[in-house]
Amino acid sequence: MPDIETFIANFQTAVDFQDPVEIRADTRLTDLQEWDSLAALATIVMFDMEYGKAITGHHLKACATISDLFALAA
Amino acid sequence: MGLSTLRNVGYRGLATCVPKTVISNMDCPPAMRSERERLVRNIGIHERRICYPWQCFSDLAFIAAERLLEELNWQRNEIDALIVVTQSPDYLIPATAIILQDRLQLSHATIAFDINLGCSGYPFGLHVLGAMIQAGAVRKALLLVGDKCATLHDPLFSDAGTATALEFDPDAAPIYFDLNSDGSGYRAIILPVGGHREPPGVQHFIPRRDEHGVDRLPYDLQLDGPAVLSFSTQRVPPAVTQLLAYAGAAQESVDYFLFHQANRMINETIRKKLRLPEEKVPMTLHDFGNTSGASIPVTMTARILEPLLAGRKRLLMSGFGIGLSWGTALIDIECAKFPELIVA
Repeated sequence: MPDIETFIANFQTAVDFQDPVEIRADTRLTDLQEWDSLAALATIVMFDMEYGKAITGHHLKACATISDLFALAA
Repeated sequence: MGLSTLRNVGYRGLATCVPKTVISNMDCPPAMRSERERLVRNIGIHERRICYPWQCFSDLAFIAAERLLEELNWQRNEIDALIVVTQSPDYLIPATAIILQDRLQLSHATIAFDINLGCSGYPFGLHVLGAMIQAGAVRKALLLVGDKCATLHDPLFSDAGTATALEFDPDAAPIYFDLNSDGSGYRAIILPVGGHREPPGVQHFIPRRDEHGVDRLPYDLQLDGPAVLSFSTQRVPPAVTQLLAYAGAAQESVDYFLFHQANRMINETIRKKLRLPEEKVPMTLHDFGNTSGASIPVTMTARILEPLLAGRKRLLMSGFGIGLSWGTALIDIECAKFPELIVA
């Protein structure tokens, strides 16, 4: 069972934030400056490589928070 | 069709031509520098090549073909077939291959036609031309692959034209192929305007703001990034494994794995899934971007010219993209001609 701390660390690495940013489970994706098309691609790769899950752009569009994203990894 | 084998087809040589003009993805206002650095880091593309406005893909392919014919010392009247794989034809009609038959001064007896494929095109072109050679009617033939797809505002695409020579050879090692199509994904990469489904009209010259707030013209290429990424990283690794199993070839027996140069995220994911060492997977994204169907030949010329000239090499080639379509080829190459990269 994946844990949210590791998930957030993986997410921060994947999105490649230009400046350090604090991310919590209830952080809204749209509040993150780097949550763009590049971040979406990197997140899809992260799910595939770290969690063995094939998610799509439709899955991402349905997620509002980090917690919603994390639920896809479970 | 999927898996197949071609026999009696010798790979005789390859020439690659890129335009002179280099554009850098880091050429941006200082305020955008950090954002651009992140983009370049993730897509892996620093510089791209762009044609002059008057220059067509066929001009690059023509130069590559001339150079290759000279290198091979082939006579023009010996060429039985000329196939062009492009989505950047000189005109909507007639086919660019037929125009090039005359430009290259090939015989009227030359079979010439175009294949409308992009990033996946190289293995498909090798197969179509190779099958004609295997059937016996064609002895010497040229395959011209590439596109004029670079623009100033997108950071991915880059221009190139290539020429490959194939010849009937009863002693040639078999070439193994796996060729596939999935038209259900045709909207993932599409130029929606200009064909008969949506003929061009004045409304197409009015920019529309997309969901990311970017103004786009309706006749710009539309690319669904997540769909293309998922397709590429899900389809390509099993296709490679399947072809190696079909050919009875161990992964270790392959000298180089040449993947279409899509972007770093896609290419690195494919490489890691297949557990391939970096030194066996040459890349040209950094300097040449995504050169569409030409990216496999561009990488051969720009990255592994010396090893190819040094002796027999086993190459696995994998093209994937627009269509959607994906093709893999396993080929042994020996004693072929590989001129240096041409810049024109």
